[in-house]
Amino acid sequence: MAPTVTTSRISLGDLTPNNIGQLRVLNSTLFPVNYSDKFYKEVLEVGEFAKLAYFNDVCVGAVCCRVEPIDTNESSSKLYIMTLGVLKPYRHLGIGRKLLDHILEHASTNNEQTITEVYLHVQTTNQEALSFYKNQGFEITGTTNNYYKNIDDKDAYVLTKPIHQ
Amino acid sequence: MNAKRELPAKENAIFKNILRNYEHKQYKKGLKLADTILKKFPEHGETLAMKGLFLNNLEKKEEGYEFVKKGLRFDLTSHICWHVFGLLYRSDKNYEEAAKCYTHALKYNKSDMQILRDFALLQTQMRHYDALIETRTQLLQAKPTNPPFWIGVALAYQLVGKYDIAIQVLEAHESALREQSVNFEQSELLMYHNSLLEESGDIEKALEHLETVEPKVCDKRAWKVKKAEFLLKLNRLEEAETAYRLLISENPDNYSYIKGLIAVKGLNADNLTSEQQSAMLKIFDDIQSDFPRSTAARNLPLNYASGDNFRNRADAYLQSALRKGVPSLFVDIKRLYSDSAKEKIVEELVTGYEVSLEKTGHFNEEQDEKVVEPPTAYLWTLYFLAQHYDKQRKTELALKTIDKAIEHTPTLVELYMTKGRILKHGGDLEAAARVMNEAREMDLQDRFINSKCAKYYIRNDKIEEAEKILGLFTRPDAASPLQDLTDMQCMWLTLEEGDSYLRQGQKGKALKRYHTVEKFFSDIFDDQFDFHTYCLRKTTLRSYVDTIRFEDNLKGSHYFVRAAVGAVKAYTSLADKPSGANGMDEANMSEAEKKKARNKARKAELKAQKENKPPKKEQVKEEAPKKVDVKKPTDEDPEGEKYLKTTDALASALEWVRPLEQVAPKHIQTHLLGFEIYLRKGSMLLALKALVQSWTIDKTNPQVAKNIARFKEAVSANPPANADVKAVIDSQLATLA
Repeated sequence: MAPTVTTSRISLGDLTPNNIGQLRVLNSTLFPVNYSDKFYKEVLEVGEFAKLAYFNDVCVGAVCCRVEPIDTNESSSKLYIMTLGVLKPYRHLGIGRKLLDHILEHASTNNEQTITEVYLHVQTTNQEALSFYKNQGFEITGTTNNYYKNIDDKDAYVLTKPIHQ
Repeated sequence: MNAKRELPAKENAIFKNILRNYEHKQYKKGLKLADTILKKFPEHGETLAMKGLFLNNLEKKEEGYEFVKKGLRFDLTSHICWHVFGLLYRSDKNYEEAAKCYTHALKYNKSDMQILRDFALLQTQMRHYDALIETRTQLLQAKPTNPPFWIGVALAYQLVGKYDIAIQVLEAHESALREQSVNFEQSELLMYHNSLLEESGDIEKALEHLETVEPKVCDKRAWKVKKAEFLLKLNRLEEAETAYRLLISENPDNYSYIKGLIAVKGLNADNLTSEQQSAMLKIFDDIQSDFPRSTAARNLPLNYASGDNFRNRADAYLQSALRKGVPSLFVDIKRLYSDSAKEKIVEELVTGYEVSLEKTGHFNEEQDEKVVEPPTAYLWTLYFLAQHYDKQRKTELALKTIDKAIEHTPTLVELYMTKGRILKHGGDLEAAARVMNEAREMDLQDRFINSKCAKYYIRNDKIEEAEKILGLFTRPDAASPLQDLTDMQCMWLTLEEGDSYLRQGQKGKALKRYHTVEKFFSDIFDDQFDFHTYCLRKTTLRSYVDTIRFEDNLKGSHYFVRAAVGAVKAYTSLADKPSGANGMDEANMSEAEKKKARNKARKAELKAQKENKPPKKEQVKEEAPKKVDVKKPTDEDPEGEKYLKTTDALASALEWVRPLEQVAPKHIQTHLLGFEIYLRKGSMLLALKALVQSWTIDKTNPQVAKNIARFKEAVSANPPANADVKAVIDSQLATLA
């Protein structure tokens, strides 16, 4: 059994124009991708689908999603997780799960549009992330070759989890 | 009676209305009425004076003075005219002149209550306490049924140290008071009475009084504190211990209660035997076990414990704070570093944590396997260590450590602030400002980091950038961020800008900033005026007396001292090398450099003029009747030219040191600054006095050693003609070794 941590407070906080700098720092540390200014503008608009995570009051992770319309069905949409990450020293403490639980919960209780599924891309070689999402009920539903542009392993799996309203 | 003063019945009635209008602040109405009288009696002095008073209150100060003076010319013996004249001076904060007017007014009407009342306020403000006693006594005699007048007399006697009379007056007042239920005013009055007994030095009596008034006192906490203090002073130790234990049980985090208990036990001496030391530590431990949440009981013993005992206590204290994530931990601990043995122990402990946490996740390697510390414990440990190394000025090690922390958790703003600080201490001001700005961008709504960042830019002489950053938090409708912060009496900014301009050789602007700080202080002093009436009415007397005493020593504030240091530096350098017309420091420049500097200054001036002048169209708009903007101040001398034009720079410098000599004689800067001025003026005895004082305060101060050499040099270059003077100098110099 994993040892207990003496002091462990996990909480989520809103993203605001004032703390968006923290998200920039997180993303540039966590992901090999440079996100555009447009990305940072959009995440301020999605409400509960973009959150910062705090561990003992220190900002250590974040999730950012976007709501996408479904072409064939006007009344429902999909939720795409653009980024979800936790700083390395803070992994395996339940922070990522808390972020994911938060958006899954809001996806199922969302009043504005019906969200039918949540999906995301994961590098095919990223075992840590793959097992994390599989544990949370995601399944591989496809592969996108050459999804990543400027890094070595370019292929990505698409992982999807259906949402039951 | 002046024949011209008498008005016919109808006008007389109007004049009475005018007075009423003033009392009710109906200035416009009053002004109209005054004009109706003046139409018929254009030389009626009192009406003219009243008209001036209304104008003054309607923001037409100059016209106001004109009419009041005109009124006085027509009626020199009217107490109303003189009173009004005094009111104008008072609203101008010219208290000296106002007092003169009141004296005249009272000559022609000895018992006018309103004048006497105003006079008393003025005398309090000017600290003319002997005269105040007289005025206060007159007021009391005129209306003994008014409680504030009794208190006023007692206060006046207290302020000159005549406690016995003050106490008698209060006793007489209290005996005349009706029996009433417990209420705040009476409670304050009694506690004030008690404070007079205490100040008079008769603690026995003060304690007795305290016991008798207990049922009528609302401020129970103050009552208990006083009781404990008195018992301790009277050496009634058993009772004092009970009193302090009671206080501690009510607030186990109050340091002064615990220190009181230590004093009761006779353990507050500097050199304790080891038995005494363990007795004291036991007191802390007992409090700790009775009140496990008391931080004071864990923190205070760190001051007194030593050796392994200290190590164990520090170990527990540090671990708990690092686990919890207390950002201020180092600020709290660094006081212990005055003892180098403790500094070493803390270093050993925390470097141990660093290694162990990184390897095993525990503070110590032998700790329980089933629980681990959170990753933040390691983070705060690194943060602590970086500050520790920075304090020891091991800049490289400090930077390495803080970078390690940033790599671990790049989102924590405090880490960048500390990195900026380390860089600043290492002398890289530009990088320091850049890192501070990174920190600021991560938390835009934190005004503290915003100000810190601006300060770092100013340290690097980038004032324009700094003001832009500060502007994110100032009022959008202010003329400029600087103007807004000046209105807010922002001391640190004004001082930092002054120091920066001084570094850049722009003495005019520097002096302007220092004089702005001086203005802050005189404004703060002026602000107490309203409390002279308010506090007497509300009987908040203990805090009122505190305030008066605080205001008396206002300029001992380190902010004022800093401004004085800068101003004296600027003025003495003006005296040493008269500058060019634009205030540039040209003494050390070649001709070409001078030309370049002057050109640069001229261009900057032109640019500033352009910026200050709004386009024509807007100006027309401004002139349209817009009454709200009447008061908007315009800066007529942004470069501070008027300070550069001083004909006697040393005299100007001395004006800064005089107040310090009065209120901060124990501050070394007072005498270092005095020395600079007196030496230049050739006032050798005064320079010697300042030198001796600074030497007495801190003989290890490097500037003191330099000054001794400078003084000796000056004396040998210019030996005093008078043999007595020479003897004094020689004998005093001999003591400085």
